[in-house]
Amino acid sequence: MKQFFLLILSLIFIISCSNNDSEVIDYNDNNLSSGGVMINAMSAEPSNLISMIAGDSASSAIASKIFNSLIRYDENLNFTSDIAKSWKISEDQKTITFKIKKGLEWSDGKPLTSADVYFTWKLITNPNTRTPYGSDYTLVSEAKVPDEHTFIVTYDDNYAPALDTWASLEILPKHILENEDVNSTFFSRKPTGSNYYKLGDWVSGQQVNLIKSENGVLGAPYIEKLTSRIIPDTSSQFLELSAGNIDLMNINPIQFKRVFPAKPKLKNRTALYKEMGNGYTYLGFNLKREPFNNKKVRQAINYAINKEEVIKGVLLGLGEPISSPYKPGTRWSDPSLKPYVYSPKKALSLLREAGYKMSADNFLVKDGKALEFEIITNQNKQREMTAVLIQRRLKEIGIKVSIRVIEWASFVNRFIKPGDFDVVVLGWSLSLDPDQFNIWHSSQQGPGQFNFVGYDNKKVDQLLEKGRRELDLDKREKIYHEFSKQLLDDSPIVYLYAGYGLTAVNKRIKGIKSPAPPAGIYHNSQDWYIPKRLRRNELTNK
Amino acid sequence: MLIGISLISFFIMHLAPGDITSSEAAFNPKASEESRQKLRELYNLDKPVIIQYGLWLKRMVELDFGNSFASHQRPVLWEKKDGKGNVIKGLIQESLPITLLINLIGIFLIFSVSIVLGTISAVKQNSIVDKSITFFIFVAFAIPGFWLALLLMYWTGVVNQWLPISGLHSLDYKSFSEVGQFFDLLKHLILPVSISMLSGLAGISLYVRNGMLDVLHQDFITTARSKGLKEKNVIFTHALKNAILPLITIIGLSIPGLIGGSVIAESIFAIPGMGKLFYDSVLMRDFPVIMGILTIGSVLTLIGTLIADIGYAWADPRIRKGLVK
Repeated sequence: MKQFFLLILSLIFIISCSNNDSEVIDYNDNNLSSGGVMINAMSAEPSNLISMIAGDSASSAIASKIFNSLIRYDENLNFTSDIAKSWKISEDQKTITFKIKKGLEWSDGKPLTSADVYFTWKLITNPNTRTPYGSDYTLVSEAKVPDEHTFIVTYDDNYAPALDTWASLEILPKHILENEDVNSTFFSRKPTGSNYYKLGDWVSGQQVNLIKSENGVLGAPYIEKLTSRIIPDTSSQFLELSAGNIDLMNINPIQFKRVFPAKPKLKNRTALYKEMGNGYTYLGFNLKREPFNNKKVRQAINYAINKEEVIKGVLLGLGEPISSPYKPGTRWSDPSLKPYVYSPKKALSLLREAGYKMSADNFLVKDGKALEFEIITNQNKQREMTAVLIQRRLKEIGIKVSIRVIEWASFVNRFIKPGDFDVVVLGWSLSLDPDQFNIWHSSQQGPGQFNFVGYDNKKVDQLLEKGRRELDLDKREKIYHEFSKQLLDDSPIVYLYAGYGLTAVNKRIKGIKSPAPPAGIYHNSQDWYIPKRLRRNELTNK
Repeated sequence: MLIGISLISFFIMHLAPGDITSSEAAFNPKASEESRQKLRELYNLDKPVIIQYGLWLKRMVELDFGNSFASHQRPVLWEKKDGKGNVIKGLIQESLPITLLINLIGIFLIFSVSIVLGTISAVKQNSIVDKSITFFIFVAFAIPGFWLALLLMYWTGVVNQWLPISGLHSLDYKSFSEVGQFFDLLKHLILPVSISMLSGLAGISLYVRNGMLDVLHQDFITTARSKGLKEKNVIFTHALKNAILPLITIIGLSIPGLIGGSVIAESIFAIPGMGKLFYDSVLMRDFPVIMGILTIGSVLTLIGTLIADIGYAWADPRIRKGLVK
């Protein structure tokens, strides 16, 4: 019993130690000054800060604050300078010459030159490097470094996505990695970079701290320190945000629409941002199977699905219907294309044209066989809900649909790779480069390749081949608008929605652009700042 | 025995479809199938399962648990040094101490509270006290841990700001004194440990209660009472000792459980423990980590049963004599 008392006493002691200051803060202070700490939550721990090897989003989120590429995307998703101050494409469109800025430094003070760029290219094309991204760079037939500030790459064949690949390759320091095995080097946990921040410390499984770098390639940021706390559970992240312990987290539509409005106090000190997300969700047909090889059936199903309803039901309205695989608002997305409207009548008349008749028990039948299929998807709440809404609408016009939900690795290996499915609900990313060769070209149907729906259209093949050889942006735009139009008409997939990315940020963080530009709110995170009076004192006094 | 266990685990693990390349960058069109095939070769995943098992066994003989696939060559078990003297910590090495600490405190609390509750219930059998204790432990057992955890986090962390919500340390804990760091850690552990304790109470305290009731109805207790011993002595010296004997087996058998963490609790409280490590490695098909944890788990299970047997014999002379006979 005595021990019990002691235990309870010590508990009370510990509890009473915590400070309990009630805060009344005026968030209208806008005095710009550098300093302060921003704390955000991430759901997963980065695996490796060399992003060519890592491949997970947590890693690239951190790595992109530490490393630079040759060029980068600006807020409107056009290319702009990064390590390279300019770049020139030759007349025959086969050679790109990058001019590298002078006087650049790594965060350890060593010079950053074209030798580092060449080294990085060598590294990613080395067969012993364990990277899944090497193939784009092996297309370079010759890379040259005539002097410290010039880097020239030549392709055997015109390769239009080239600039995009150079915008995504983060340049690594040669002087550190030269004699290291990049697959197992300690550098992946203690990198030296060239961007706004450098790694302070990394407490495994708990937090990653980035500290402002004074000699970054693009200058210095305002916020002194970025702390990323690793909190896997989003409800816990939300509690931490409510308690004011973190400043920034990604939220879901329910939190955005229902939870924040219901908590006026929390809403007062939190700003909510929405931006166009990076991916879209679709319903994909197995085009090698009956009856999905019939364009009329696919179009009918497209007409029979109410996309607005799906967006309202699944995303609480926080999303947009799309009609091409490109981000709405960018040049690749053709504003004149419109999604299939919801029209059960049109659907039925198309299905009648395809030879289906309504049976006595209200199901569509052709040659004695009912129109029925199975939708499979992976364990993803939004996709499951989407499938259920689709199931209901299709039942109304007489199509029997069953739904099956499968764990990701099994899903890919048992169903997608062998092509053993009727219909899937899945997502693709809205890529920044318009090239969709890997997804839609008829040559990309092998097991493990990405045209697993089996789309085969000679005209589209030609457009895709032409598009990836054309470096002139205006001509390219025309090609991909034509491609999107054809794709929409063929309807090998039904575009369902592109959800918004939703972020909640404590109002002490200033300088965030709203409404978000096409590149999202993070693109100017170096210009964010925390006015002095709004900083957390306990962390900055040191 | 160990070889049998490891062989079965290895094959079951490979029965699940997919490998590391099917999750890592699986659906990124920038990652080509050739590159993925290359990765499979580099990890020896293209070889028949039996050969992969042979390779694994060969390494195990030298007690080399290998390197993780998913976290890019971090050692599975213990730290390694690279050429420049940088120490790369092992995955299990980092997760295990945290889980051990939580589970040890948890088990200690479960047993001490359960013995008290169980004894009280048994002595006051069928009274209001007994009934309310039984009711309490069943409610505690039946409440979903994650739900209670979130409620408590909200109440003690957001509404009142008494306790930290998640994580193991405060952000600035490195500036604290050592004692301060210790209390900081304790403060972070209060919620996770109490949640895991609440659900564990039911089993053990009912065990104690029933054991106690059995013993209390035996002849030697009647003898003890009849010779005029105080009730306190009867219960604590005579009855309780006998009643908690079977707990030794339970303690022994819970040794392997010490290294297993709860995925849900660890995710909610953002604690980088063994449960999360194991769960993530299964999802990523990170074979070396899965095998490493399974092997250590089975070794500990074997040791645990052994310790339980020995402990039982040590504590109970009747069993010791039975062994000699």
